[in-house]
Amino acid sequence: MSRYRISGKGRVDHAAPVSFTFDGKTYRGLRGDTVASALLANGVHLMGRSFKYHRPRGAVTAGSEEPNALIGTSRGPGRFEPNTRATVQELRAGLVTESQNKWPSLSFDLGAVNDRAYMLFSAGFYYKTFMWPKSFWDKVYEPVIRGAAGLGRSPTEPDPDHYASRYLHTDVLIVGAGPAGIAAALAAAQSGADVTLVDENPEMGGSLLSDPGVAIDGRPAWDWIDAQLGRLRAAGVRLMTRTTAIGYYHQNMVGLCQRLTDHLDSPPKGAPRERMWRVRASQVVLAQGALEKPLVFDGNDRPGVMLAGAAQTYLHKYGVRVGDAPAVVTSHDSAWYAAFDLADSGAKVAAIIDTRATVRPDLLDAARQRGIEVLAGHTVTTTTGRLRVKSLRAAAVRGGTVSGGRTIPCDCLLMCGGWTPSLHLFSHTKGSLAWDADGGTFLPDRKTEAVEIAGAGRGLWGYDPVLADGAAAGLRALQGLGRAGHPAAFRVANDRPGTGTSHTELPTDGNPGKARAFVDFQNDVTAKDIRLAVREGMRSIEHVKRYTTNGMATDQGKMSNINGLMIAADALGKQPPQVGLTTFRPPYTPTSFGAFCGYLRGETFQLTRKTPIDPWAEANGAVFEPVAQWRRAWYFPKAGEDMHTAVLRECKATRASLGIFDASTLGKIEVAGPDAVEFMNRMYTNPWTKLQPGRCRYGLLLGEDGFIRDDGVIGRLSPDLFHVTTTTGGAARVLTMMEDYLQTEWPDLDVWLTSTTEQWATVALNGPNVLAMLKPLVQDVDWDDFPHMSCAECTVAGLPARLFRLSFTGEIGFEVNVPARHGLTLWETLMEAGKPFDICPYGTETMHVLRAEKGYIIVGQDTDGTVTPQDAGLDWAIGKAKKDFVGKRSLSRPDIVAKGRKQLVGLLTEDGSLLQEGAQIVLDPDQPKPMRMVGHVTSSYPSTMGHPIAMAVIEGGFDRMGETVFIPMPDGVRRARITSTVFYDPDNARLKA
Amino acid sequence: MTYEKHQFHSAPVLIEDLAPVLRLSLRVKPAHRDTLARVLGLDLPVRVGARSAAAGTEALCLGPDEWLLTAPEGTDLTTPARAVHADAPHSLVDISDREITLRLTGPAVLDLLSACCPRNVAAMPVGAAARTVFDSATVILWRDGIDSFRMDVWRSFAPHVRSLLAQVQGEIAAGL
Amino acid sequence: MLLIHCPYCDDTLPELEFAYAGEAHIARPADPSALTDEEWRDFLFIRTNARGPHYERWRHIGCGRLFNALRDTVSDRFLTTYKAGEARRPLTNEAAE
Ligand SMILES: [Zn+2]
Repeated sequence: MSRYRISGKGRVDHAAPVSFTFDGKTYRGLRGDTVASALLANGVHLMGRSFKYHRPRGAVTAGSEEPNALIGTSRGPGRFEPNTRATVQELRAGLVTESQNKWPSLSFDLGAVNDRAYMLFSAGFYYKTFMWPKSFWDKVYEPVIRGAAGLGRSPTEPDPDHYASRYLHTDVLIVGAGPAGIAAALAAAQSGADVTLVDENPEMGGSLLSDPGVAIDGRPAWDWIDAQLGRLRAAGVRLMTRTTAIGYYHQNMVGLCQRLTDHLDSPPKGAPRERMWRVRASQVVLAQGALEKPLVFDGNDRPGVMLAGAAQTYLHKYGVRVGDAPAVVTSHDSAWYAAFDLADSGAKVAAIIDTRATVRPDLLDAARQRGIEVLAGHTVTTTTGRLRVKSLRAAAVRGGTVSGGRTIPCDCLLMCGGWTPSLHLFSHTKGSLAWDADGGTFLPDRKTEAVEIAGAGRGLWGYDPVLADGAAAGLRALQGLGRAGHPAAFRVANDRPGTGTSHTELPTDGNPGKARAFVDFQNDVTAKDIRLAVREGMRSIEHVKRYTTNGMATDQGKMSNINGLMIAADALGKQPPQVGLTTFRPPYTPTSFGAFCGYLRGETFQLTRKTPIDPWAEANGAVFEPVAQWRRAWYFPKAGEDMHTAVLRECKATRASLGIFDASTLGKIEVAGPDAVEFMNRMYTNPWTKLQPGRCRYGLLLGEDGFIRDDGVIGRLSPDLFHVTTTTGGAARVLTMMEDYLQTEWPDLDVWLTSTTEQWATVALNGPNVLAMLKPLVQDVDWDDFPHMSCAECTVAGLPARLFRLSFTGEIGFEVNVPARHGLTLWETLMEAGKPFDICPYGTETMHVLRAEKGYIIVGQDTDGTVTPQDAGLDWAIGKAKKDFVGKRSLSRPDIVAKGRKQLVGLLTEDGSLLQEGAQIVLDPDQPKPMRMVGHVTSSYPSTMGHPIAMAVIEGGFDRMGETVFIPMPDGVRRARITSTVFYDPDNARLKA
Repeated sequence: MTYEKHQFHSAPVLIEDLAPVLRLSLRVKPAHRDTLARVLGLDLPVRVGARSAAAGTEALCLGPDEWLLTAPEGTDLTTPARAVHADAPHSLVDISDREITLRLTGPAVLDLLSACCPRNVAAMPVGAAARTVFDSATVILWRDGIDSFRMDVWRSFAPHVRSLLAQVQGEIAAGL
Repeated sequence: MLLIHCPYCDDTLPELEFAYAGEAHIARPADPSALTDEEWRDFLFIRTNARGPHYERWRHIGCGRLFNALRDTVSDRFLTTYKAGEARRPLTNEAAE
């Protein structure tokens, strides 16, 4: 039995010991313990060092709001996690933990020198210290700051766990399963409503788990909880523990993070570590209770100084007495009960120090019965003890004067500065808060969502009002669904009502300038820092926060915000609401990246589309590249080939004989209906009326602004049927754009659009031998009437096909479309039939080189959304006689017809070097910097012609043919001559074969 | 062909590939809907998500002027439709190969779908269908029974969707 | 994530099924060539950029239809949605329901 464990007490399993290590030492706890409760049971209060001053710290809470006891936890390689709250992490067999911010050891730390130099590290320290000289910014200051920054250490391996996601739709979501939440759930679970009750703790019951002496409806609190949870389960209520509501978003969407395996000795195979729930609730009830505030006095951060409510929780939930001789300092009645419970468990309570001069007589009586000394109207001015509190100094406060201090020995000090309603989630909704001067706290005011706040979350105290309020909130939520239910009432015995007052720092007779009275434990912000910030001109709490870092730690100021506000308001001589409250943002508690990622990692990190021919490419050694959402074969290297060699081989094989290419990713849209040709005339720049069925045409699509959006070859299969192709990346966008015009501008047209991108697998064949190879495989095509730019529905290799004769390479070319299920068969058949011609599979890189040699543009590479048809040299694609088409009016806008627009030209370097795509172009390389850039390289490739080729957009490029321009690069200036974009076969002789 | 099919009887979820069917996208304006319905021999429901069936052919209303027709392979719906094209202009496009269909069944099928489907799938009536999203893929989800769904996925999205389904299936099998 | 009512499906559905499609009630001029450069510029580029209720268009993946919406850009709340081609809904209290 551990020294501070009370035999048989608490909700832990005394028959189930669990071993774990902390900083290399093995300890024993019990099943049901947290790391913090197990350490406390072993008398260990020192659990970490603070972030800035490296001051020794212990657990100050028993929950997720813990600022101090942050530890690293580990379950083998890749499963190390820093900054886990020891007050939340449940014990599991073999758990390995370590303290943080210490070197070389937790009890002896060199960084604690910062603590003695604290006068240097006051508010605004970073802003003041790291200013001058400028030369120190990157050489000295940044390395120093980076070296000291960070909380804990990062894991070094990838996280081997996986994480899950779920959407959930529920009628009523209740956050917090304390008395108010349970009462709300009981009320809401009438009339068949779908109710979900969540709690971040392993067990439901909330504060009742720490108040077992309370009785409800004649049953002890814990029995009552069991009975009610049984009722809820029977009513079909979804009960979720270890589930934290981390964010509250629009229209009652609440994000929940459910921890599934961190508490298990050995998680089942395949189980996710955590699951993120995106819950859409018709009604939400927030029953999150209240968070206890510390009191602010010198030495309030020593190990052993903790919140009174936390001590009460350790006692009742875990059977752990946090000390043998606790002292209590409080401004609220609740801490008196903690003192009584500890006394009743065998502790010798050193004293109850209440800042209030007048205390409820029944509390005084109860203290007297237990022989506890009471110091009402007193303050605590300081504490002693290096690694654990040893004593406190209490002094009387009369008329604002502190006098008569005396030292009281203790082995822990339990403090309570009142309670702050937990309104973080409510604040996420932009619900407004109203200042309650009596309670010294903010309460929920105007709501923006269908939400109820119940219990201590709206400032109520004592189980009787809280239960009644929870039931009423649950009933209102039910009525909000349009359903009826009966009101409920609860009889509470042994209730623990309470009130209190709020403070700034406690009064002291010491030098306030030397007091280390902490407001934000995690970020080491003292009351003095906040007052200094105000003296130095900070007026808004947002400025005070950023200047001091108060409330900016991972606990988001759960314990520090109100104390900080009270002190800032006092220093400014204003009321707290005039100074304001900082904004709470999701997540409520630190949440793992894994939970946010969910399934979006590994092979499902991003949607990756694959063509029907992809398996062949993979089996044949293709290197892939991503193009839009697709993965496409980039090139097919043979043994020993690098990319350059492989691509040149593929290019030459295609120009010499025959190349085969998977073009299945091309967007395809079926445009069908009596008004199809009218629609095409309106959408595309080209004229379509005279295009005969069985023929194709290059189509150019603009936006209304006149800039090129997309292009592709379009075949007319019958008078009222067009087979439109788009760029790979533009498919969805073009269809959406066309649908938009049809639905909203021209709903009168009888024409319909259907995406057929994936209906067809498309194989491109190019090269001088293509006809010889393809003809024997094709049926139903009249070869005497199938010139370049023809199309037909026919049979290829026994498969139903749409055959297009077109070229994106400059060689004779075809695109064979077959139903997608036959794509792979077609490819394999063509590969076989192409053997006598040394058929060469090629990838997107070769496709790019071949098209660039012919000056064919790629929309999105050679154009960037500011290029007109004229700029790209595509005037010929504009139907001049057409009265209107999308973008036509813009082609005569002043900016579009102005001189000096960037125009697409070819570039040949004088030294034969390869230019970089994106490189900037200047006219005079000797001009002073910054140079005037007149354009940039859009495409650049090695070519089959023995020298690299490039395309570029250059101001007034068409008028500069033959001129030399300059491309400054880090290793020197390149010279290049402006040429036509057509480098290969400018007369198209090869297409006419 | 079956994808990761559980062979034991009480599998919480089964994921199977279904054989191809004839799948046609019908687009027609409301004024001519009845004409098409007549020649196709089945009702064309007007409420988005509603289905009808007759003689092996099924129609799903996907939009105010859009129906998805499915029928056994080899069924000829094109010829009768073409016969009325002049009077009732429409578009009838074969998309049999555009999508593949998965059948998802089992007592945990709603968990499986809710992993990646933001829509309230549980509230979808049996006999309805919807075009919706599963993670970042657009899918058509058919509810054929309390625990039985079909999911039409564009062919190229199928590897991604299958991988997600397999992950969730593993998670369901782990029981947490 | 918002909930959006699709007037074609008559169903309120998650935002992930929808795509934003720009400001509403900006009709393409019947004869663009008749417009001055300034008029055409305004059609192309000038938008309301409202702080508060904003008429805008959304597209529903489910039914494939574009529709109109009145959304408050401050609260990010949809006040109403209605079919494409319908007249601009007035800014009344009824619209806010
Ligand atoms: Zn819709």
